[in-house]
Amino acid sequence: MRKLIVATLAGAALSVMAMPAQAAWKSYVNKELGFSFMAPGDVKTEVGNSRGTLAGPRQTIVYRSIEDNIEYKVTVISFIQAQAEGAALLGERQYTFQNRKKVLTDTFALVGSGKDTVYGRKIVVEQPDNKGRTTGAFYFTKGRMFVLEATVLPARSNAAAQDPDRFVESIAFALARMAPDAIELTTPELE
Amino acid sequence: MRMKVVLTTLVCTALASMITLASMTAPVMAAWRSYISHPMGFAFAAPGELEVAKGAYRGAVAGARATSVYRFVDDNIEYKVEVIDMTDKANDSATLLGEAAYIFQENNKLFMDAFGAVDRQYGRKLTVDLPNNGGRATAAFYFIHGRIISLIATVLPANGDYDTPEAARFIDSISFHTVRAPDNAIELPAPPK
Repeated sequence: MRKLIVATLAGAALSVMAMPAQAAWKSYVNKELGFSFMAPGDVKTEVGNSRGTLAGPRQTIVYRSIEDNIEYKVTVISFIQAQAEGAALLGERQYTFQNRKKVLTDTFALVGSGKDTVYGRKIVVEQPDNKGRTTGAFYFTKGRMFVLEATVLPARSNAAAQDPDRFVESIAFALARMAPDAIELTTPELE
Repeated sequence: MRMKVVLTTLVCTALASMITLASMTAPVMAAWRSYISHPMGFAFAAPGELEVAKGAYRGAVAGARATSVYRFVDDNIEYKVEVIDMTDKANDSATLLGEAAYIFQENNKLFMDAFGAVDRQYGRKLTVDLPNNGGRATAAFYFIHGRIISLIATVLPANGDYDTPEAARFIDSISFHTVRAPDNAIELPAPPK
């Protein structure tokens, strides 16, 4: 009996050691841009670029981390001078995200409640050439577009992992409810 | 030879009678006409007689709103264009548009939810089955110039042909480039005060 217990414990310990190390999820907030989210891994801040037929060329603010072969990315694009065009700009971004890809789901996404609700979309696509599966969530509020993308890379066998959902659903625009230990993100200077 | 002529005449007469009868029993389809609103910047096409009315819309984000309704009924299909003025909240256009589309499909059986891209405007197209066998409704929602423009075609149970192309013809007739409207397009009147 004792041998059986020891063997079971040893097996459990071995299987835990064999599992990839999971980084803790942390809360992040950018009070200047007015949003918060959660992600695992080491979140880095970058400046990126995007271009749309309607949106034109834009510099973007990108917060990115990679953990256990899933890339987590938040992109913020400012359209302060074109806020009334937000519906069309957001539609264009969503359309571009899924264009020429296999769409697995495309559903409503709501953040907040009541009169403070922000309506967006959540779309899951298969990337071409077996480059993985991306879950995207798209919102436009207070003159800024927020795009959250979590891509399960091919190196990770379980494409249907739950972590992308956890990531895109962690977005919040009501900062009063943010976690008290949230890490403050910097806003890089754009040209 | 005479017998052949008599038979041919009989067959032709019978065929002509059948065609006449069939056309008499088929529902009378109204002609499609083009409509345009220069102040609001859109055009569309619909069959039947135009009725203009005021309506109401309510959303948690949008609040309570008066609407302008342009309605047609033909062959037991209701065609409706509804304009909701959101000029005072236009900066929330993405959320207001999302809310309108969400309310349309809420608690209904959703068949289709797709992009509606027209003249550089991105909206949504949805098809739902209405509760209590109320028919099937196809709608498109766009936000332009501070207004939500919605087109809803409802195939009523009395029509029964829920796959009729007429609904899509109406929904897809919307244009935001008014230069594309036909010369004989009818200017939409303002709703009654």
